Amino acid sequence: MRRIIAIVLLTIVVLGIALSLTEVPFGTPKTHVGDYYVKEGVKETGAVNIVTSVVLNYRGFDTLGEVTVLFIATIGLGALLTTHKERKKKRDVMPASLILSTGCRFLFPLLLIFGIYIIIHGHLSPGGGFQGGAIIASAFLLTYLGCQGVRISERRSKLTESLGGLVFVIVGVLGLIFGGYFLLNFLPKGTPFSLLSAGIIPIIYVAIGFKVGSELVSVIDNLMEGST
Amino acid sequence: MIYYIGAFGLVFIGLYIILTKRNLIKVIIGLNILDTGVNLFLISVGYVREGTAPIFSRGSGQVLMVDPVPQALVLTSIVIGVAVLALALSLAIMLHKHYGTLNLQKVKEQKW
Amino acid sequence: MVSPVLLIAVPLGLAFAVPLLRLISRRIPKYIPPVAMLFNLVLSVSLMSSTLKEATVVSIGGWDPPFCINLVVDSLSILFSVLIALVGFLVSIYALDYIEMGATENTEKYHMLYLLLLVGATGVVLTGDIFNLFVFFEILCISSYALVAYLGDKAGVESGIKYLIQGAIGSSLILIAIGILYGMFGSLNIADIASNINSIGSIALFIPLALLVTGFGIEGALFPLNGWLPDAHSSAPSSVSAILSGIAIGVGIYAVARVIFTLFGVSSIFPFLAILGVLTLLVGEASAFKQNNLKRMLAYSSIGQIGLIVFGLGIATYHGISGGLFQVVSHALGKSLLFMAAGYMIYRTGSMDISALKGIGERMPLTSIAFTIGAFSLVGLPPFVGFASKFLIIQSALLKQDVLFFVLAVLVLLATVIEVAYFLRVCQIIHFKEGNNQKKEDAPLVALIPMFILVSLIIIIGIYPNLVFDFLNSAASGLLDKLAYIEGVL
Repeated sequence: MRRIIAIVLLTIVVLGIALSLTEVPFGTPKTHVGDYYVKEGVKETGAVNIVTSVVLNYRGFDTLGEVTVLFIATIGLGALLTTHKERKKKRDVMPASLILSTGCRFLFPLLLIFGIYIIIHGHLSPGGGFQGGAIIASAFLLTYLGCQGVRISERRSKLTESLGGLVFVIVGVLGLIFGGYFLLNFLPKGTPFSLLSAGIIPIIYVAIGFKVGSELVSVIDNLMEGST
Repeated sequence: MIYYIGAFGLVFIGLYIILTKRNLIKVIIGLNILDTGVNLFLISVGYVREGTAPIFSRGSGQVLMVDPVPQALVLTSIVIGVAVLALALSLAIMLHKHYGTLNLQKVKEQKW
Repeated sequence: MVSPVLLIAVPLGLAFAVPLLRLISRRIPKYIPPVAMLFNLVLSVSLMSSTLKEATVVSIGGWDPPFCINLVVDSLSILFSVLIALVGFLVSIYALDYIEMGATENTEKYHMLYLLLLVGATGVVLTGDIFNLFVFFEILCISSYALVAYLGDKAGVESGIKYLIQGAIGSSLILIAIGILYGMFGSLNIADIASNINSIGSIALFIPLALLVTGFGIEGALFPLNGWLPDAHSSAPSSVSAILSGIAIGVGIYAVARVIFTLFGVSSIFPFLAILGVLTLLVGEASAFKQNNLKRMLAYSSIGQIGLIVFGLGIATYHGISGGLFQVVSHALGKSLLFMAAGYMIYRTGSMDISALKGIGERMPLTSIAFTIGAFSLVGLPPFVGFASKFLIIQSALLKQDVLFFVLAVLVLLATVIEVAYFLRVCQIIHFKEGNNQKKEDAPLVALIPMFILVSLIIIIGIYPNLVFDFLNSAASGLLDKLAYIEGVL
């Protein structure tokens, strides 16, 4: 009975959405805002990757909010799962096979380098802080799986998180002090296509990369310890 | 066009799972599918036929590019989805510790 | 002129810095939310006078609208911002002691989550961009999911997961609507969309409007989307309940109002809004009447009050909206006072049942007086602020000279009678029933000071409502006058 009601209700909703989507034709350029970003983006921000300039420069405030959301999730996880953490004895895990442990030790530095490359080149090619941070976190996840007994110290990851977030806010406030607008791109824009260009964008992305990496690592850490 | 259908198909499936399934983990997976469907919809709104990725390469000049704004929106939305998922999973772990079951029908201690 | 961006940037920076500051001293984290909220309060109040004349538009990043995100600080935003900072400040002082009780380990996570909730709320009311509104709304929602389940007990976790699932569905609906709006209009700026809204037929516009109202209404506790609220507000720690009932649902209603009035501006929806409001009011008050659990009763009463606020907004005249906004103020002041008092009463008696409150009037005299004054204000007795706000709403409903609104006003009065019944029953048990006669043991001073600041505000604004009338009228006209908003931004 519940299923039938659910299906009927959802069909009505989806049909309604389809009705309003007739106004949103597929595949046509619809926006003047998007065109403006594509045309003026390189000149105004110095970043060749237009998506990065939108994410960090034109809509940098959203990125600040997003970083905050991840911060909240990490704190929430820590608060919820810590109240039930018994002091862990040595966990009875199956020792990792030879292939897994050798592979982990081999891949870990490669993954780290790859992640750092993606973070730093955020304004030149697809990538950026979030993507690179996720890659770095998966490198650490690999060590949890492959080499037992290795734990990332919770204090250090918390400090990295706070520093990352604080750097973001401080850069924004510096923009306010120097130029009168929060998150103003006040550093010199440099020449396009070079590594040191686009003003504050690489700095913020590095901070975000560290933050996201350490946050995801502490989330994984909490989830692994919180399970019975 | 197919992208819209696919995106809303995912939304439909996700909502159906949330509304009808009883196991908490399945509901959380449904939530994830719902988020994925919505993100797919957002990106397909920005598609321009014959457009390329909005990244300039050396010596390319002005080419037709897809809209960069929905891509930025989806970046934010994916991260928010991950955060909600993490919280939901931690609540599921704690729920299991308290009740011993993940069946949402049995977890109804609060009365009217 | 200090930039309003600092209202968001400074508390956010302080919240990020808490783990670093904790290294200096373990006792610093619990003082950071009061400091941050005091800063917000001072800044918001100083911005109040300038927004009376015209809205301040601050662009983030220095680009011109609509190519940037902008904050639009009109009198409605500042009203909410002052309210958030004030109630946030008082509840954080209350929590200085309340959270430490029975806590087995460091509580800095609570303070960080609390501060981030308030940052999210302030961001929602200040922004002028629909996707930015969504992001800050998510900050608000996610920190409240974590705070509801903070104690980790059975009830908290169950309420938390139900709240989370419903809230997450709502967020996805909002996101779908934002996608549709972007596809139709090509911009995410509220003023930009609002100025072009008439170029698309109203049938096609119905779905984004419905999705947005549903999504924001889940947090704002509109009927029938409020299933999560009684569980969540009653299982959360009392300081969290105070902030959720006082501020979070008010911010949800702000988002609904901003969408309906400024973004869409369709006037045919207003009677529907008024009916929905009265329906919510009746359901809330009737359910509250049957409750034996003190905090659950207060939670249902919050649902009822939100219904009253929405009814005021649905009247859609100048006075009606002022009444609705005034009710937001009086509900925030009164309900947080009630939850703060209830927190210590429950702690001292060890039970959440109303019948266990027998004789508490003797054991905790000051707290009981505070509770009683809060209850009287919410019900609408003079000379408290609740009377002034309810009177304004009912008066504007009658002034509309419409049969529908006359009937609705009568229903509101009926609901008020029910409210009087259950609140007076609680007060009677508190003051006039004999208890176990243990020694006098009132709430600590740290908790009493914020409660009595609220009491004095309730009495002062109740006696001199003209203190806030100018501001409310300006806020109401800001909501009604779509064109002024658009011109101010673009």
